[in-house]
Amino acid sequence: MRATRFAYRLLLIAFPAAVRDEFGDDMATLFAMQIDERRRQRGSVVGLWIRAVVDVLQHGMAERFGAGESPRPRRTGGWMQAFLHDARYALRMMNRQRGLTLVCVLTLALGIGANTAIFSAVNAFLLRPLPYDDPSRIMTIWEKRPAEGVLDNVVAPADFLDWARQNATFESMAAQITLPADLTGVEEPRRLFVAAVSPAFFNVLRVHPILGRDFRPDESFAGKPRVAILSYRLWSSQFGRDGSVVGRTLTLNGTPVEVVGVLPASFEFADERVDLWSPLVLEGTPQPQSRSSHQLVVFGRLKAGVTVQQARTDMDRVGAALQQQYPETNRNHGAWVIPYEEWLKSPVRSSLLLLLGAVAFVLLIACVNVANILLAKSAGRRREIAVRSAVVAGRARLAGQMLTESVMLAGLGGLVGLLVGWWGIQALKQLAPAEVQIVGWSHLRLEPRVLAFTAVVALATGVLFGLLPAWQLASQDVGASLKEGGRSPGGVRRRVRVALVISEIALASLLLVAAGLTLRSFQSVLNDPAGFRIDRSLTVSISLNGSKYRTREAVVATFESLERRLASIPGVRSVGETSHLPLGGRDGRQGVTVEGRESTPDAPTRAHPRVVSPSYFRTMRIQLLSGRPFSEQDAPPALPVAIVNETMARRYWPGASPIGKRVRFNGAGDPWMEVVGVIADVKHWGLDARVNPEIYLPLKMGFGSTMTYVIDTDLDGAALAGSVREQIRATDLNLPVGALRTMDDVASVSVGSRRAGMLLVTVFGVLALVLAAAGIHGVMSHLVALRTPEIGVRMTLGASPAQMMSAILREGAIQAIAGLAVGLGGGVLLMRAFRSVLYGVEPTDPLTLTVVSLVLLATALAASAIPGRRAMRVDPVNALRG
Amino acid sequence: MALKPLVFQVLLALADGERHGWALVREIQQRGDFTTLMPGNFYRTLRSMLAEGLIEEVHTRSRTEAEDERRRYFRLTPAGSRAATVEARRLEALVLESRAKNLLTKRG
Repeated sequence: MRATRFAYRLLLIAFPAAVRDEFGDDMATLFAMQIDERRRQRGSVVGLWIRAVVDVLQHGMAERFGAGESPRPRRTGGWMQAFLHDARYALRMMNRQRGLTLVCVLTLALGIGANTAIFSAVNAFLLRPLPYDDPSRIMTIWEKRPAEGVLDNVVAPADFLDWARQNATFESMAAQITLPADLTGVEEPRRLFVAAVSPAFFNVLRVHPILGRDFRPDESFAGKPRVAILSYRLWSSQFGRDGSVVGRTLTLNGTPVEVVGVLPASFEFADERVDLWSPLVLEGTPQPQSRSSHQLVVFGRLKAGVTVQQARTDMDRVGAALQQQYPETNRNHGAWVIPYEEWLKSPVRSSLLLLLGAVAFVLLIACVNVANILLAKSAGRRREIAVRSAVVAGRARLAGQMLTESVMLAGLGGLVGLLVGWWGIQALKQLAPAEVQIVGWSHLRLEPRVLAFTAVVALATGVLFGLLPAWQLASQDVGASLKEGGRSPGGVRRRVRVALVISEIALASLLLVAAGLTLRSFQSVLNDPAGFRIDRSLTVSISLNGSKYRTREAVVATFESLERRLASIPGVRSVGETSHLPLGGRDGRQGVTVEGRESTPDAPTRAHPRVVSPSYFRTMRIQLLSGRPFSEQDAPPALPVAIVNETMARRYWPGASPIGKRVRFNGAGDPWMEVVGVIADVKHWGLDARVNPEIYLPLKMGFGSTMTYVIDTDLDGAALAGSVREQIRATDLNLPVGALRTMDDVASVSVGSRRAGMLLVTVFGVLALVLAAAGIHGVMSHLVALRTPEIGVRMTLGASPAQMMSAILREGAIQAIAGLAVGLGGGVLLMRAFRSVLYGVEPTDPLTLTVVSLVLLATALAASAIPGRRAMRVDPVNALRG
Repeated sequence: MALKPLVFQVLLALADGERHGWALVREIQQRGDFTTLMPGNFYRTLRSMLAEGLIEEVHTRSRTEAEDERRRYFRLTPAGSRAATVEARRLEALVLESRAKNLLTKRG
């Protein structure tokens, strides 16, 4: 009684508060008494509840939106009344056939839920404008090298300074680069990521610190005290949101840095690693800034009224002037303006659209299934419908009634689908590839726009799968149905249902082709030789900063002593170190001079330098193709040596061995180095990326203060982590220890987005297959049931059960083949449009097409065989009598 | 002009004197035109009748201890009882005409 009252009071929210205050208690009491009475009479309490829901919704909405109720009846019934009548009827029908309703609702919920989840990603990453003021005016500006087919190369500092000074179309321009830095002088030294930005950066994005101040223009000059603005995340995690943090001094890379501000929590940046922001020092430095070391990302805000095209023309002018002024560094280089939004969103666009297409197909299949179920159901209701249409309703009203029913079914499917969608969004977050730079993660959730999308999809779904049965029912011959007593071979109906099955198979095979091809792409990415070991060997990165490490000798000695210490840990086979771990995301490129080969602007000689210890190639199992590896003797004062990769050897010494040849970097005073070895190519940028020329230097003759150790061991990473940390502490107490990762992890991060896409497309493909199988089974069962009398006749005339079975299987196979022909063709065309997501596999891949055909054919035959067995057992006498 | 059937039913039930909500509902259900009168429909009708001045809430009625304090009693206003009479006459006229046209000669 109390629970009833409580639940009913909740329902009454439909009424305006004034009415609830006045009559709410009375209404709840009345309803509780009615429920009581119904129980005493052993009637359906559920039915009464359903009536109460409809009653409260109808009259509550009328109180809220309608003009005041009048005691006089309205003259016309009105469409609203008709709709409410239909809705009540539909609820009764759904209540009567609960099992069927459940199957329909769940099928729709899967389809609608998958769409909700994927659309929420599309909404967060593609549709939502970037979270900055007037985002369409924020541009990124890149170095353009049309001759090399590169439009978005990072920018050299000197070029950026000239761009910022000479352009006429940007309100402000700023450069950014993310670097690791060690935070010391705190309890637990930490590796942080610092975004060094030119002072106008927050001006370009129009972001204001919630505490403290923005950078001042003069803070990009050398010699000024160093300052930093904290991200909200670092302010929370490291400083417990202490308001007095502004003014405090931190130690970053051994240098004191004063905190001057804190950014708002709502601020999002594409590089999510960034912990704090500090001014990029570009001006007033002892040496002029470089024009050949490319490293900066440049942002700009367009002046009001300036179009992207005008900005491009303007920057072309600036680029051309710089080419004239600095021909040796800037020949064939220009500046390219891309709206930030476009640059950020275009890499994920095709994958997300492919997924959206995939879930749309899943939903279509779900619709076809439900339409099939409703057709089967309506076949059983022909007589009832015929009576109703003869006695009461016009055909339009009847079709309206059917549509109301399907829309309500879809509405329920949508509600459950929201749950499925919510769950799907959580799964998407788990799958999220870490290396994809995109703004909008915090909006990957059920936002109002997503809810609206789900509502529209559910409504459209209801209309879509409801139209066909509604049209069929409304157009049937009433008199004939009444005379037949509701049974009909239904030639038209049969053709319609066969067409539905064929379209279902076509949709499923199309999706499976997409799934198969992305799966094969993923496989060929993994199977392509990477050139190095991808297994459980551990990696850890160490930076030596601060006053202790001013000389090259001190740096090298520390790196070498740590390498020896790590190698001494029991269970460790060997340890090697490199400045640039493959797939680690770090790289650089320098111009080189190859003796006897001219570097032309159209074919410049350039290489990506790496510094490695002598044991590195052995530890990483990188193959030495010719010459010798590095040794301990490769140290000053011996003559400088280098090892090149196969691509560099082939490109710069075509047809000859590079061993014994000389090469040098293009900096002033860089010495000639003798090439002593050639190693096999290593995939540096990704398992699906192409290989560039690489040049390796021995640790003792190298540069840089950050090295990554690779530790070859069978031990579990977690077991080893403690000893590794201990050895690092023993080397230098103040060294922050970065994350320990296995090469497996490093590699899996680098294929993360491909894996996520592959997994999702496969899941949707399998979902489509299951739904299609259920659909085929349903239709074949129904067709067999319709043909039972015919089967009876044929069996009396001497047909064997096996012949009946093969006739039914033949029918299933013909439908499957017809569907496959359409679906495979569609799949190939679709994947041709999405070729960019494929790797090492053609859209017409014979293996994929064969497997998909076989799987679908087998599924169709199995789904037909189940009703086929029933046909074999038909008793001719009963069949004929029935 | 005609009254809604439920409105006339309420007026009819109140013609005997004051009633509270539940008693009204029970009486109307017993008359048979509404097997189960849902609360939303009933109280919305009651509200409109109060607003139109066909019925009024009783405040002065002395109550015995046993009676629920929260129960609210309603009675006809003069306007309500006039409306009921008009409607009854209208229905009577319809019945008489039906009889004249031999619609009611055969019983059952």
